[in-house]
Amino acid sequence: MQGLLAGLLTFSVYFVMQAVVFHWITIARRAVVLVGLWLLCLSVYAPLFRWIPEDDVIWPPPLAAPSDAVTFLSGILLYFFLFMGYAQFVYMAESSVGVRTLIELHAEPENGLTLKELTHRYRYDWMLDRRLKRLVHSGYLVEDSGWYRTTTRGRIVVAIFSWCKGLLRLGPGG
Amino acid sequence: MAVAGFGLFLVAHVAIFRLIELERRFRAMVRIMMAVGCTLLIVHRMTVPDLGFLPHEYTTAGWAVDLLNGLLAYGFLFIGYSMFYFLVDRGFSARMMIEIESSPKRRLQACDIAARYSLEMVLQRRLTEMLEIGRIVRRDSRYCNTGKGRVAAIMFAFVKRFLQLGKGG
Repeated sequence: MQGLLAGLLTFSVYFVMQAVVFHWITIARRAVVLVGLWLLCLSVYAPLFRWIPEDDVIWPPPLAAPSDAVTFLSGILLYFFLFMGYAQFVYMAESSVGVRTLIELHAEPENGLTLKELTHRYRYDWMLDRRLKRLVHSGYLVEDSGWYRTTTRGRIVVAIFSWCKGLLRLGPGG
Repeated sequence: MAVAGFGLFLVAHVAIFRLIELERRFRAMVRIMMAVGCTLLIVHRMTVPDLGFLPHEYTTAGWAVDLLNGLLAYGFLFIGYSMFYFLVDRGFSARMMIEIESSPKRRLQACDIAARYSLEMVLQRRLTEMLEIGRIVRRDSRYCNTGKGRVAAIMFAFVKRFLQLGKGG
């Protein structure tokens, strides 16, 4: 439990710090800041682990584990997994078309919207441009006079995703 | 055991997805995950802590914390895999890269991508998915949020505003 609690507490510190930073500062490269803060908060994990009493002092035997490397690592693993889940949540809130659609529909609670009305609320060129820029920045695409090509890294990702789509019979997706 | 359980989940997931034409795929994934999770619980209680091969120093934790750790690891592996799955199945950026790579000259302009995958197609796919999971309803040709959809909209609108994430979409 010592490791799990330390992991949970470290994530709480990270969560508060990240919320404060994102709320008060306008950030251009959000993913870099998210990961940077996660790494920064990793430094408080070891002091928190030491600060929490050993399991056999406060927990009954079924919930007690020795304060060894396995317990220490289990807390770091929890901190990592919680971050991964939270990063996915932030990404979804930021970029998901489905989430944006729900918010647009919420603005019209009485009558709702037709597909045509909904499309008028989006700027597709902006949506595409934003994603293309992100893919170029991440090294998956290169842009040359308005033409986009995949890089080797991009081709590897396309090959993996296409293989997975074929394996799971998922269709073209998107 | 959590890793073995997750491996079992992956095998069952791939086999079922290949053999059966599913309409609600993610619900099927959750059900497979729950079924394997319940099996893990039973196997955990029926087996010895060292599984017959683990070093003694790795198996001195109490059974409850051991089980909790295992379930957490299994649950988070599933969440991590779900992220990957959604990226493969619904990733807009992935679809754009696939469109570029599968084009005759293996290069496209933004307008070519828009022509191959229009905004109507993007939105229609999302609306269909949200209808299936009960976040929206369709009345005549108009889409409205259900109670579940309203809660999600309010929560995400707050998160977007509080974290200054922009309009997005």
